[in-house]
Amino acid sequence: MGIASGRQRFHVGRPQTGCPVLVQHDRKRRFELLALPHLDAAFNLARWLAGNTADAEDVVQDAYLRAFRYFDAWQGGNFRVWLLTIVRNSFFTWAKENRSSRLVFHPEAPTGDTAEAETTAWGTPPRDPEALLMERIDSQTLARLMERLPTEYREVLLLREVEDLAYKEIAEVCGVPIGTVMSRLARARLALRKLWFGAAAQEAGDAV
Amino acid sequence: MQCDRARRLLPPLIDGALGPLHRWFVTRHLAHCAGCSVQLEELQAMQAALRSNLPYHRAPPGLAARIGAMLPREAAPAPSRSWLRMQAVTVAGTGLAGALAGVALTLLVVGGGRASDNAVMQSVIGDHIRSMMADHLTDVLTSDQHTVKPWLSARLDVSPSVRDLKDAGFPLIGGRLDYVDGHPAAAVVYRHARHVINLFAWASPGQPDTGFHAASRQGFNVVTWRRAGITYYAVSDVEADQLAAFAKLVE
Repeated sequence: MGIASGRQRFHVGRPQTGCPVLVQHDRKRRFELLALPHLDAAFNLARWLAGNTADAEDVVQDAYLRAFRYFDAWQGGNFRVWLLTIVRNSFFTWAKENRSSRLVFHPEAPTGDTAEAETTAWGTPPRDPEALLMERIDSQTLARLMERLPTEYREVLLLREVEDLAYKEIAEVCGVPIGTVMSRLARARLALRKLWFGAAAQEAGDAV
Repeated sequence: MQCDRARRLLPPLIDGALGPLHRWFVTRHLAHCAGCSVQLEELQAMQAALRSNLPYHRAPPGLAARIGAMLPREAAPAPSRSWLRMQAVTVAGTGLAGALAGVALTLLVVGGGRASDNAVMQSVIGDHIRSMMADHLTDVLTSDQHTVKPWLSARLDVSPSVRDLKDAGFPLIGGRLDYVDGHPAAAVVYRHARHVINLFAWASPGQPDTGFHAASRQGFNVVTWRRAGITYYAVSDVEADQLAAFAKLVE
């Protein structure tokens, strides 16, 4: 679903042809000025989606090439959001072509009122209040837990917490309605919480 | 308010996506509901963990240069000037940082010919980019406002407002001397999550105070205002409303 709508968005613009040389020069320079400062953000997203540096580099290069080709379709909104949309689309195209196992999508919950389910599912806090101190989780463990999340959960968490995007912008990047972003984010947090408490329990078990 | 309704509003609450009315209702509910408060704490803890502890993968050195080389030259008789400069700097061994500094320099030139406000805007954005990429974010690296302020005042004709806004989510990182649009300027550096905020300040003696003006350029947000003969420009890629909140806190 995310892939199909993302694709559609991708082909909005038409590459500009037949421009005078000077304009083309300006176009490339303008593109570099806009796009290169966001290279770290683009790479970080690609790296978390693709799972390793080499594939992430391929995805980012492809994304920048596409972004340059469709540069004229950029409407002058938030460039970082526009670029991340393309990075995400490039990743899914890449994953599909390579039949990557990273392309794991979970079907959305069938019921209409998903927030209801999440509220109940959150349940009671664990007895050990120490377990609540998620700030104490070391980055390696946190990275490992994130890697175990399905791609669709990992990406909304990244866009929200690392890129600090608003719901509306995440909806734009992922090509889904805002309601879907909110429920997906809620499920992603729930899933991460489960993994975290699972990891904490295992650690406690190992210690005994 | 019922617990199930309140709990549904907790995620938008920590994501800053709740209107004032709903926020008021939730806050009132939280004041006397331990269960919902615990859930809020958990959500906030998870958010803090992701924001501060999740590894951030920076682009490998050389990727910017590879991308630049890959972009079609499109009927250009010779490589564009900015690209030549970028490659020269890259070869000199400064890698991505140097390449982007080259870009920022070009930006200043591009902004030069426009209306003066626009030129200043381009100039501060260029400085902002350069400060992040050229490994020269701060001259004085400290979160102590009582160190940064005198350090800047001793070197400039302004004494800009410097506050550690850590509790509000904008920790102070340090200060730097800069040069914006022909003025010696102070740059006070803050951080918000992964994002850097550069607060530029320079003397504008005798000019009247202004309110906050927000603008957005090239994916960066800018808020500017003038108070007590000092012009301020806050530049960052944090969201516009966050930057506006930051500006109000500084002021």
